Amino acid sequence: MADLTQILSLSASGMKAQANRLRHVSENIANADTPGYHRKTVSFEAEFQNGTKTGGVDTGPVELDRTALSRIFDPGHPMADEQGFYDGSNVDLMYEVADAREAQRSYEANLKMFDQARQMSSSLLELLRR
Amino acid sequence: MFENLDIFRLTSGLARHSTARQELVAKNVANADTPGYRARDTQPFSEAFRASEGGTDLRTTRAGHITNTGSNSPLVETIDSPDPSSPNGNTVALETEMMKAADTRHQHELALSVYKSSMSILRSSIGKR
Repeated sequence: MADLTQILSLSASGMKAQANRLRHVSENIANADTPGYHRKTVSFEAEFQNGTKTGGVDTGPVELDRTALSRIFDPGHPMADEQGFYDGSNVDLMYEVADAREAQRSYEANLKMFDQARQMSSSLLELLRR
Repeated sequence: MFENLDIFRLTSGLARHSTARQELVAKNVANADTPGYRARDTQPFSEAFRASEGGTDLRTTRAGHITNTGSNSPLVETIDSPDPSSPNGNTVALETEMMKAADTRHQHELALSVYKSSMSILRSSIGKR
């Protein structure tokens, strides 16, 4: 029974990490046209509790993608320079959508594990019933 | 008392084994995107049970003989599962994990059903229904 609750918390840590990743992906998509925006990335790392590994997963610190910003030609833009260019963002929507899809898939897998553990513990409790 | 009946020992061992395996699968799924994580699995139940069954146990032919009093539930050993790794060193394949989860779930269900029906046989043998 203790193992099953452990499974629940492991899956919950996975879901939380994937949700956090999806949140940053949607931030990037929302800011795809913001001038000067650098895309945010999160990495996953092992989760620690009181200095020991729990076996779960946690998101690391948010980092900015340092690739060059795109140069957009629009002489009418208030931030345009003499040549008529201004700095856009370095968000590539294709990457973001692919990342979002992967996060969703992993989230669903974690949810499935959560549900299975729940069903296993309820059928275990069923044994006590006559 | 239930530990002495082989069938209960077998079924509770299988239930315990499948729970432990499910935990490893959950761990793998949670870490499906962690760089450098290596997927792990338990040894099959048949092997684990055989290891706990023979070999280390002392044979007894008379009631007064010394027996192995330690816990003889099947050991759960973790092994690396042999999936190829992705560029970031992670070896988890979600599809394999899902299959393992379904399989484990089935084993757990099986163990509980057998346990339940043996319990009802035991119960009717002592005259209760």
